[in-house]
Amino acid sequence: PEETVTSSFAAFIHAVRPEHLSKTVCHRSKRMILDSIGVGLVGSTTHVFDIALQYCRELYSSVAVSSVYGKPGVKLSPTLAAFTNGVATHSMDFDDTWHPATHPSGAVLPALLAASQMLPPSTKPNGVDFLLAFNVGLEVQGRLMHFSTEAHNIPKRFHPPSVVGTMGSAAATAKLLSLSAAQCAHALGIAASLAGAPMANAATQAKPLHIGNATRLGFEAALLAARGMEANPSILDDIPGCSGFSAFYSVYQPKPLSTPSDHHEFLLEKQDIAFKRFPAHLGMHWVVDAALSVRNLFINYAGSFSPSLIRTIVLKIPVSKYINRPFPSSEHQARHSFQFNACTALLDGEVGLSSFTESSIHRQELRELLDKVVVEHPEDNVANFDKMYGEVALLLHSGDVLTGKCDTFYGHWRKPLSKESLLKKFRSNASHVLPEEKIETIITMVDNLENLSDSSQL
Amino acid sequence: PSQTITGNFASVIHGLNANHLTDQVIQRSKRMILDTLGVGLLGTSTEVCHKVTQYSKIYSSDISSTIWGHLDFRLPPLYAAFVNGVAVHSMDFDDTWHPATHPSGAVLPAVIALSEAFPQKKKISGLNLLLAFNVGIEVQGRLLRFSSEARNIPKRFHPPTVVGTMGSAAACAKLLALDQLKCKNALAIAASYAGAPLANAATQTKPLHVGNAAKHGLEAACLASQGLQGNKQILDMESGIGAFYTDYNPQALPTLQSYPWLLDQQDVAIKRFPAHLGTHWVADAASSVRRKLVESSDNLLPLDKIEKVILKVPEVKYVNRHSPTSEHEARHSFQFVACSALLDGSMSVQSFASENVHRPALRELLCKTQLEHPPDNTPSFESLYCEVSVILRDGNTISDRCDTFYGHWRKPLKKEDLEKKFQSNASSVLPAEATEGIIETVYNLEKVEDCSVL
Repeated sequence: PEETVTSSFAAFIHAVRPEHLSKTVCHRSKRMILDSIGVGLVGSTTHVFDIALQYCRELYSSVAVSSVYGKPGVKLSPTLAAFTNGVATHSMDFDDTWHPATHPSGAVLPALLAASQMLPPSTKPNGVDFLLAFNVGLEVQGRLMHFSTEAHNIPKRFHPPSVVGTMGSAAATAKLLSLSAAQCAHALGIAASLAGAPMANAATQAKPLHIGNATRLGFEAALLAARGMEANPSILDDIPGCSGFSAFYSVYQPKPLSTPSDHHEFLLEKQDIAFKRFPAHLGMHWVVDAALSVRNLFINYAGSFSPSLIRTIVLKIPVSKYINRPFPSSEHQARHSFQFNACTALLDGEVGLSSFTESSIHRQELRELLDKVVVEHPEDNVANFDKMYGEVALLLHSGDVLTGKCDTFYGHWRKPLSKESLLKKFRSNASHVLPEEKIETIITMVDNLENLSDSSQL
Repeated sequence: PSQTITGNFASVIHGLNANHLTDQVIQRSKRMILDTLGVGLLGTSTEVCHKVTQYSKIYSSDISSTIWGHLDFRLPPLYAAFVNGVAVHSMDFDDTWHPATHPSGAVLPAVIALSEAFPQKKKISGLNLLLAFNVGIEVQGRLLRFSSEARNIPKRFHPPTVVGTMGSAAACAKLLALDQLKCKNALAIAASYAGAPLANAATQTKPLHVGNAAKHGLEAACLASQGLQGNKQILDMESGIGAFYTDYNPQALPTLQSYPWLLDQQDVAIKRFPAHLGTHWVADAASSVRRKLVESSDNLLPLDKIEKVILKVPEVKYVNRHSPTSEHEARHSFQFVACSALLDGSMSVQSFASENVHRPALRELLCKTQLEHPPDNTPSFESLYCEVSVILRDGNTISDRCDTFYGHWRKPLKKEDLEKKFQSNASSVLPAEATEGIIETVYNLEKVEDCSVL
């Protein structure tokens, strides 16, 4: 029978085996898992997390078997634990970013963690199964994004994690639960009906829900499929006149996945992930690195950082409405503001967690700097995480001009974080809620994930 | 300060009160509530509903709401809303509006489930329920008018998942008496749950669209009530609700003074049998052709005398199925309904039972059926028509045309027929007194003090 794109995906999810994972893929995905857990742990200290947790606890109490980041002793039902942890992961916009653009790990990891706690002791997945399922979730997201050229640029309409993330979570959970190929197809179909959130909620407190829901709803789709729910078996195919997954894109060209025989090339092999060094939208990282470099020039020039010498600050950035905010008033907006991040970097010499507190956002010195900012959109600066750059120029009263430019920030896939930097980030995040021995245990466990016999220990 | 559309919606949701409801709106919405309950009760017996009930039972707890017709266990409001929403749409038997969506199924389950969750001392009256219900319907209708795309039968996103989620959020926000700011946030959060592609129509997953709309709208309102914030211009921006449409022109709602409800100007269509609305024109035309062909209704249709059956219908891909194999597909097939009506004289719940879907006489007739799409037959529930022509071997042609089927908003069901549909549906799970009781209560909804008796 003629194979559809959808059935090729289902067959892949069903048939792929641990042997198909290459070393690079294992290594990279373990880094992602570690980073994601750390980010989730620190995220459990946020206000949006509190709301999500309170909501879940009030409404549901039984079959509470799955843990919540940073709250030992608290357990929730699996999909709600996934929801809460997903919200935690994206609460500060500190989680990983891929190309084409999405936040892949946050949409997948929480569901897998919750699911592995849900399964009875006799069928607990081991570390290898876990790692495989995780990678299935990433792979499906990546493949789906390649179906549309729209996906290559920073999004405008639908927030990618809510589109492909939901599908990835469904695929990963289906894999972990060992669903049949037909059930995998239905999981994808059901998930599509749960996907898709508009961009407008980015830079608001509701944005973390996108990841929380992606991981939760994809998980639910897999659970429903496991119970026999059926959906459209051609959900990923392009059927004119009746949109399936194509509804989310204006241009959509799906291609089948090859069934893994001996050897499958995972996208993670060819295209690594970017890890953030501070909790803000990825685009900010370029301007911050550029700002730091021009700050050094300025200090050499003037002896110290003296804002009064600066007449104008020019930012050369790509066009992207939702991250262009001259005067952000909340932490969520601040994380999505080129201007804010550049000025903070100039003022403080670094950007970190504390840069986004209420008091930091509203500082007088910062406001004064923000007043001097002018934004330019050079034509060659494309709104695309693979190609964009950030340039910060200081026009001084004296007439001199100092410039800093950044093509590739440290943490980008072209310049990945070193192991030490990644661990430093993890330790710093996790220490907000966990004691030291636990932190070290997690690091060791993730590092040896393939050898773990029971992944629910994670 | 100039108000945003979103802010305007929030202030209207917040500011509408029972005095604004007109008599016609009250009457029409009570009919919708009755029909929806009946359809939902019947729907609890479907396979899809069994599956979601099993799934939802995982989450039982103290705060509990009922599954319509089943008092043996309770679920948290969210999952009760979900299951009941699925029940309502499980057979595609629920109401349809213009511009096209299934308005009641996305709202009623949510407000009922929510009202059951209120503590004893703060019971919700029937009038409050009726008001909240209408707020939910109104918001859906207003949103649908923001895009010309919405006028026609959908192609990309299934409307209940876009506007239904928003309507449910608005209705629940109203019931919870949220302040204006929280109403705005409820709408904003709901938008991030909205939108499911059409491809799952005609599959077992479609009923989940309405179930999820109800559930997620309720969840959005609850999250807003707890202080969660979203984009306060969610209805204004192209990257907000506009993301679901290619052309999007939002407008502010009218002022509250003698508020002009959409339900006043535009009634809903109530289905007479459980299938996609488009098939209702086909059924009426086909039944009428059959009457011309066969003298008495006891006679069988003379199959061997029929050469061809031609259906002139609008072009709607997801209802064009030559050879449906499941009940879900049969409910979305012009051809199936035409042949079924020709064979039996009328359509009913039974027409979609497995034995009937697969009977040889039907299959034979289906083989002789073809569709034509006249250019003047536009895919809009306001203007479409259907013509059924049966060409006999002897050269004669018998045909008839239906412009407005009985049940359409231009030819609404009479009170007796609406009640008959309800009784027939409800009696599949409830005893006669209960059925009568519900009809009574709904008709007197404004006077009911504690709507949880429903």
